[in-house]
Amino acid sequence: MQFLGKEIPSPLTLASGILGISFSSLQRIIRDGAGMVTTKSLSLEPRIGHEGPIIAEFDGGLINSVGLTNPGIQDGLLEVEKFHKEFEGVSIVSVFGGNAAEFVRLAKAVNSSSADLLELNLSCPNVEDEFKRPFALMPEKITEIVSAVGAVSQIPVLAKLSPNAYDVAEMATLAEAAGADGITMINTLGHGMVIDAIARRPVLRNNFGGISGPCIKPLALKLIHDVYQKVDIPILGTGGVSNGLDAVEMMMAGASAVAIGSAVYERGLDVFRSTRLEMEAFMETHDYADYSDLIGLLEEN
Amino acid sequence: MKRDRQTLPIVAIREENVSLRTFTFETSLQALPGQFIMLTVFSQGEKPFSILDVTESSFSMTIKNIGPFTERLFQMDVGDIISIRGPYGQPFSQETGRILMVGGGYATPPLRFQAKVLREAGVRYLVNVNGARSETDLLYVPDFMDYCDRSLIATDDGSQGYRGTSVAVMQDVLGEESFDRIYISGPEKMMKAATTVARQFGVPFEVNLERYMKCGVGVCGSCVMDPHGFILCMEGPVVDHKTLDKLEEFGVSHRDKTGRITAL
Ligand SMILES: Cc1cc2nc3c(=O)[nH]c(=O)nc-3n(C[C@H](O)[C@H](O)[C@H](O)COP(=O)(O)OP(=O)(O)OC[C@H]3O[C@@H](n4cnc5c(N)ncnc54)[C@H](O)[C@@H]3O)c2cc1C
Ligand SMILES: Cc1cc2nc3c(=O)[nH]c(=O)nc-3n(C[C@H](O)[C@H](O)[C@H](O)COP(=O)(O)O)c2cc1C
Ligand code: FES
Repeated sequence: MQFLGKEIPSPLTLASGILGISFSSLQRIIRDGAGMVTTKSLSLEPRIGHEGPIIAEFDGGLINSVGLTNPGIQDGLLEVEKFHKEFEGVSIVSVFGGNAAEFVRLAKAVNSSSADLLELNLSCPNVEDEFKRPFALMPEKITEIVSAVGAVSQIPVLAKLSPNAYDVAEMATLAEAAGADGITMINTLGHGMVIDAIARRPVLRNNFGGISGPCIKPLALKLIHDVYQKVDIPILGTGGVSNGLDAVEMMMAGASAVAIGSAVYERGLDVFRSTRLEMEAFMETHDYADYSDLIGLLEEN
Repeated sequence: MKRDRQTLPIVAIREENVSLRTFTFETSLQALPGQFIMLTVFSQGEKPFSILDVTESSFSMTIKNIGPFTERLFQMDVGDIISIRGPYGQPFSQETGRILMVGGGYATPPLRFQAKVLREAGVRYLVNVNGARSETDLLYVPDFMDYCDRSLIATDDGSQGYRGTSVAVMQDVLGEESFDRIYISGPEKMMKAATTVARQFGVPFEVNLERYMKCGVGVCGSCVMDPHGFILCMEGPVVDHKTLDKLEEFGVSHRDKTGRITAL
């Protein structure tokens, strides 16, 4: 099947921020059955991120406050080069900037690398102390950043949106109008908190974090469905996908490809291979010839 | 989802030497030598530590005071609470033939645990080489004497045992006797040298690696090793000689807190 002009063996994609940036884990994930990989979001300068605990589990999924730990765009793109050297695989490089000018510098750097696609992380909830409200909540920022990046990028640009916006479909429409080639959604939900009752403290060192995993899947499906009605550009769906049926549902809601994050914690790297097999089994039973036949099939009651 | 976090008071603190303390907690932990836990000191952070010992109702860790996190831990008293999650990672194998163990510095806790477990499992013959900078840095000397058929000591300054490195002593031992397996835990440069010697003698070995770890459960990517994307926190930290062949960055480089590659 195809996603934004790239031929991919399966719609499954590594979501940004899981297993980081090293070329070797990205290659391994493609070998394990993913069609594409997204890098950890890269910023202009290296970032240590927050102190641990940066991750806490609860019955419905995970809460994380990694805080955009990354080696910076320069070292990050060296990994992307190594990833592509003698290796077939589609890369999405995710970037995070503090303003439109930074996004433009990051986009230029990505364009001069061998990256296939560019994803703008407009929606990280874990750095509000530094960067204030995520851009994905501010209509004028979405327009400003996406159009500034669009003006310099030769490679397709995905805008990654937040489920926390009041009207996500409206935000997606703005991103499309500003020239985005695709939408990635959703980033983590909330902030949420996991509490240690004995210690009378939040478990995360940073007190709160973004919620991901199975509990956000219903929200992701609804928002993807809404956005699919409103825009013509492809959606990279993400949020709570842990198995083949979840991925099928997400494509039916309107996603053209599906990214998996937290389920790597639950099922290990094997999640890509298993999910792919589970999708194929579903498609065979229900007579779908190609992954792309699933996209947007949902009928409302 | 797995929920393996526990919040516990410290029940005992033992001074091993000026910079090392053993902390004991009451809970039953299904853990094997080489595995580690993630330890949270409230308001400070979370870090990985090897398990020194488990009993039916307790476990302990030996910790070196080297930075802000461990400094904060060293200010704590019996009764203060911490939180743990784990055990995580792959343990040493349980080979009970003729065993050689080579350790260096504060990386010896897993070997002490391994010696105990192998002794209980009826190991045929157990030799330990315990290396440290100086006499005062040596750990668990009486324990190793208890558990092992031969227990050798190497100090850089010759203040106790042989003067020199544990690797030099290891080389001598391998010249004298044959072994089925070698378990190695120490600073990476020392382990690198030890693996070279082990290969010369053709003895299978396992090493206990350390990388910067932040999540401990294969999610954050900070411990990933090139060029095959080996996830050390889950697939290690104990690595056998065959796997080690593939980890080209062993003894050469590691990743810092941001994920940048830096020379070792
Ligand atoms: C699997 C594993 C088992 C370990 N077992 C023990 C043990 O039994 N006893 C013990 O004293 N130490 C052990 N360590 C090392 C221990 O985690 C760190 O040395 C310690 O957390 C340093 O904390 P700090 O904040 O006091 O020092 P810092 O000043 O922050 O760091 C000092 C040095 O410790 C190392 N370090 C710091 N944070 C980490 C981290 N998150 N992961 C890995 N290394 C780090 C780095 O090399 C750093 O340069 C282990 C590490 C790993 C990965
Ligand atoms: C540990 C962790 C780190 C993440 N880091 C990033 C990041 O750097 N950039 C980003 O755009 N999204 C990041 N995310 C969000 C994921 O890419 C994904 O959008 C979200 O987790 C929902 O998918 P899931 O339920 O499958 O995990 C992170 C998520 C987790 C759990
Ligand atoms: S420490 Fe996070 S992946 Fe190993």
